[in-house]
Amino acid sequence: MHLLSLPHFPPPVESLEMLSDEEGPEETASDDGHVDEFPEIDAGSDSEEEDLLEDEGEDEDSEEEDFEGEDSDDSMDRDIFPKPKTVISDITGQPKRVYPEIEPEYDSDSSTEDAPNCVGNVPMHWYDDLPHVGYDMDGKRVMRPARGDELDKFLETVEDPSAWTSAFDKNAQMDKPLSAEELDIIRRLYANENPDAGYDPYEPMTEWFTGKGKEEIMPLSAAPEPKRRWVPSKWEKQKVMKIVRAIRQGRIIPSKPKTTSKLEFYSIWAEPSTSHAPPLPAPKPRLPTNSESYNPPEEYLPTEAERTEWEAQDPEDRERDYLPQKYSSLRLVPAYDRFIKERFNRQLDLYLAPRIQRVKLNIDPSTLIPKLPSPQSLKPFPNYKSLKFTHSGSARCLSISPDGAWVISGDEDGVVCLWEVNVGREVKRWKFAGKIGALEWCPRLDVSYFVVGIEEALHFVIPPNLPSSVLVLTQSLLAPASLPPAPETPSPVKWVTPSSNSRSSDAAILTVHLPPSSGLPKQITWHRRGDYMATVCAFASVFWSPISYVLDYAASGGTQGGVWMHQITRRHSQAPFKKIRGAVQLVLFHPLKPHFFVATQQYVRIYNLSEQKLLKTLTPGIKWISSMDVHPSGDHLIVGGYDRKLCWFDLELSDKPYKILRYHTRAIRSLAFHPTYPLFASSSDDGAIQVFHSRVYNDLMTDPLIVPLKILRGHTVKQGLGVLQVRWCARQPWLVSGGADGAVGVWFS
Amino acid sequence: MAPASQPAVFTTQSPYPLPPQTFMIPTAWSRYQLSQLVNKALSLSKPVPFDFLLRGDLLKTSLADWCTQNSVGEEETLEIEYIESVLPPQKMSDLPHDDWVSSVSCQLEQRFLTASYDGQLRAFDYSQKQTWSSVIHGAPVTSFCIVPSTSTNSHLIATASHDLTAQLTEINFESMQETKPLASLHLHTAPLSIVSSNSSGSQVLTASWDSLIGLWDTLVPESDEVPEPAPGDRKKRRKIEGHKPKRKAPLMVLKSHTARVSGAVFNDEKTAYSCGFDSTVRAWDLEHGVCSQTITSSERPFLALSLAPSSAPSTLLASSTDRTISQYDFRDPHPLASVTLAHPATPSCIVRSPSHAHQILSGAYDGVARIWDLRSVKGATPVASFKAWDGEKNFLVLTGKTEASYASGAKAGWGSGKSETTYHNFCATSCQFFFQPEIL
Repeated sequence: MHLLSLPHFPPPVESLEMLSDEEGPEETASDDGHVDEFPEIDAGSDSEEEDLLEDEGEDEDSEEEDFEGEDSDDSMDRDIFPKPKTVISDITGQPKRVYPEIEPEYDSDSSTEDAPNCVGNVPMHWYDDLPHVGYDMDGKRVMRPARGDELDKFLETVEDPSAWTSAFDKNAQMDKPLSAEELDIIRRLYANENPDAGYDPYEPMTEWFTGKGKEEIMPLSAAPEPKRRWVPSKWEKQKVMKIVRAIRQGRIIPSKPKTTSKLEFYSIWAEPSTSHAPPLPAPKPRLPTNSESYNPPEEYLPTEAERTEWEAQDPEDRERDYLPQKYSSLRLVPAYDRFIKERFNRQLDLYLAPRIQRVKLNIDPSTLIPKLPSPQSLKPFPNYKSLKFTHSGSARCLSISPDGAWVISGDEDGVVCLWEVNVGREVKRWKFAGKIGALEWCPRLDVSYFVVGIEEALHFVIPPNLPSSVLVLTQSLLAPASLPPAPETPSPVKWVTPSSNSRSSDAAILTVHLPPSSGLPKQITWHRRGDYMATVCAFASVFWSPISYVLDYAASGGTQGGVWMHQITRRHSQAPFKKIRGAVQLVLFHPLKPHFFVATQQYVRIYNLSEQKLLKTLTPGIKWISSMDVHPSGDHLIVGGYDRKLCWFDLELSDKPYKILRYHTRAIRSLAFHPTYPLFASSSDDGAIQVFHSRVYNDLMTDPLIVPLKILRGHTVKQGLGVLQVRWCARQPWLVSGGADGAVGVWFS
Repeated sequence: MAPASQPAVFTTQSPYPLPPQTFMIPTAWSRYQLSQLVNKALSLSKPVPFDFLLRGDLLKTSLADWCTQNSVGEEETLEIEYIESVLPPQKMSDLPHDDWVSSVSCQLEQRFLTASYDGQLRAFDYSQKQTWSSVIHGAPVTSFCIVPSTSTNSHLIATASHDLTAQLTEINFESMQETKPLASLHLHTAPLSIVSSNSSGSQVLTASWDSLIGLWDTLVPESDEVPEPAPGDRKKRRKIEGHKPKRKAPLMVLKSHTARVSGAVFNDEKTAYSCGFDSTVRAWDLEHGVCSQTITSSERPFLALSLAPSSAPSTLLASSTDRTISQYDFRDPHPLASVTLAHPATPSCIVRSPSHAHQILSGAYDGVARIWDLRSVKGATPVASFKAWDGEKNFLVLTGKTEASYASGAKAGWGSGKSETTYHNFCATSCQFFFQPEIL
């Protein structure tokens, strides 16, 4: 430190701070100064004062560089070689001692120093206002080199090829070219290498303890060697013997080829990456705000009114679940009393929050509505009531002749009327004892008769005005001259034909007496060939009193469910079911196959009559089945229930409904498929008949098309009963419906 | 603002022509004022009511309303055709029957003939007294026709019945015993729907539910042409013992229909028309017995047909179960329904006017008979309608049909038969006659 050499006297402490304020280039400049600052004593020194100060400066410098060596050298130089000469000063006229100029030798530490400025590590801006930039070794001023303007600098960089490797020397206040070593250091720093060129990171390791002749001979422990080192192991022998036995018994195959020895290569990129979005992060809890601080600003603190209002509110109504509170210091904040509760609620939120990413469906709701054809394009279908035929009682059942020209309708007074479909004129009427349970016309076209079911009896009736050939064939069928042989097993069902002279057109030609207390036949259904007929009897007491039902049930031996199958040509009746679960509601013959549909209260079972086994059980999901009909193709079944449901079954598809229609407001009473047109109708206790278009496609891929067409109103509801039966005309899209109000309507297209 | 007016030219086919001249008619006028105008212009001594047709549309409102509805500008000249008004016929009397009346005729002088579902044929005179009745069939008679003949006191009647036969009967109103069943026509295996004869009385057509049409001549054969069925079965129709009719076979069977034939009618001696439930109207060549032309419409089972009135030759009117009456022209190679008259209920019968060239009468299941003018077809409104039977409880059906023209002066009359049931039984039936009020 050239404390004394400073022209002004800044405090030495300050220099530290000032240095810290200096910038990078200044730092390097001071380094340069450090390197360069070897004193050079000029013979022609300007002032005595400077010469006097020379010793001190030199001392300081040597102290920095190499204290001991240089000091001794300097002292030797001064003591031994240079002899001072005493000269008379030109200025003062006083004698002074002049030392010979120091010749830096080869071994001199300052041999490489050529920096003339020995000002030391001081901020160079101290010299900003002065003409010199410091002092050389001899204490003479080093004058500020001339500095050109920017243009000169630029010209220098153009002319001087080494200009780009020169840097500003702060001590000299001029540009100095960097030496090769310095450039190498810069390059190493730039390349992230060790700046020390002599450092070798890969120098060979010195082996100190390994290798020949460096082994350690003496053991570390003096304990004797344990026995297990040389005695054969008993456990090992047992293990080996176990393996040997396994090999002998063949449990281990010694030379088994390894199956998984070969590595299987596969492409890890072959499978496309999963399209699932990564799992969602948990929603973040809300960050605390100013009001939750322990020391909130005053404006966040609630007033007294707000506090009372907050306390008066229910916890779920509060806008926030805390009140801001102010503590003068953090150490006064008490333990948080709601910590457990809040953490628990947070866990609940995370548990209940849906953690899967749901893709929001962006669907136009109008596209979800199936495109149904307009009813006008699906004509013909019945759409107005053309005729009304009136019974005195409620018209419970009706049937239409297979040629579609005549209707028979029966009412609860036991009257059966035969009338024309499209005139409505009654042609004949029959009176039976007891109410009519069911009516059905025989589907054969070469004979013509119909069956009337009343309490415990079935009457076979021939309509009037038949062609003579049909009449003869019908009479020979129903009342043959020679009765077929009686079956081996006696049947409880009796077939009775009145004698030919007591026969009249007003009475039945054949009567089948069902077993006693079998009740009213509630359904008569024909096989399509017209030889087999199935009847279902309602145990009259089933619906009314459970106790008498049990008695009747036991008395009639009615485990067979009240189902009877009658064969007309053999005049024989049999019960197809020995025992059946549930009360049979309806039965149906499959139109094409020897299958038999049996509807109990909740299920529809399909039996194969030729193989005598159960094929399928359909579960419509209806509480009480009221009606059923099978499509003419035999592949579809509609089932209606008292709970207003109408189920469409695709028998090829499933034993669950293909479609459930719930359009009626009251119980469904009757269903009917049109035999030729793609139509079906349902009637209900709400007094309405609904007509549907039902197109069934031949290919199994296309679903049936069901289009609601028309609601036919016109029947009045009487005692909660509406339209009790609907039937289609065979060859025309006309509907005939019988209602509880006694009216039988004919609906024309 | 001055009342708006419309230029108009009046035309007519009635015997009251106006001079061809353009009138400026206030648009607020309706039928009544126009009729008064025509009457005043003609200075008729006795007022004649007129109806007015604008572009085939009967004027029911004022002219201004009609113009706005049909978007006719104020300066267009309207061509107004006027026709004599048709007033609804007035009921003259009831002819009570025991059963439904299926067919009515007033072709004979001084008599009405009715056929009923109880199988009887009845005759009434103009004082509405039943003068004669006879049981013809054991089953309901669905239709009958009077075969024109030259004899004066006995008449040949052809009847069609549910008992699968038609019958030719000679009746004589003077003596009840003179009813002679001449021949029973055996062809059909289903109830017959209609029988009709040609104008010369030489041939008869029968149509049946079994899709066949039989063509018969009216000659009575010497012996049975069709063998008797096996003995032992009792035929109910042979109730009239003694006069056992000869069993007659058809001249020709016209087979083309695929469902019930509901109507068949002669056009002339060589051609006939028929309609059926198979939605077709067919023209028949009776010389060869083949179907010469078929008009198929989609899903319209036809219930009845009639020849169109004299203004439209070889056209046909057929009523179908879709509550319309359509007009078909067989001169067109591809006939379509040219006129469609919509009804509120099933139209069951049509009859053309014997005296008026444009009018037809239709009866429907709602108990209302309607008179239509075939020139006013656009709005499809009848020119007159009358309700034959009152009472909402009664089930009304209009099944009778006839055309009648009385020789008593200038009176034109319509007769129509109907049947009616009360709530329980079929006792209260009647036949009613209506007379159109005098126009002159």
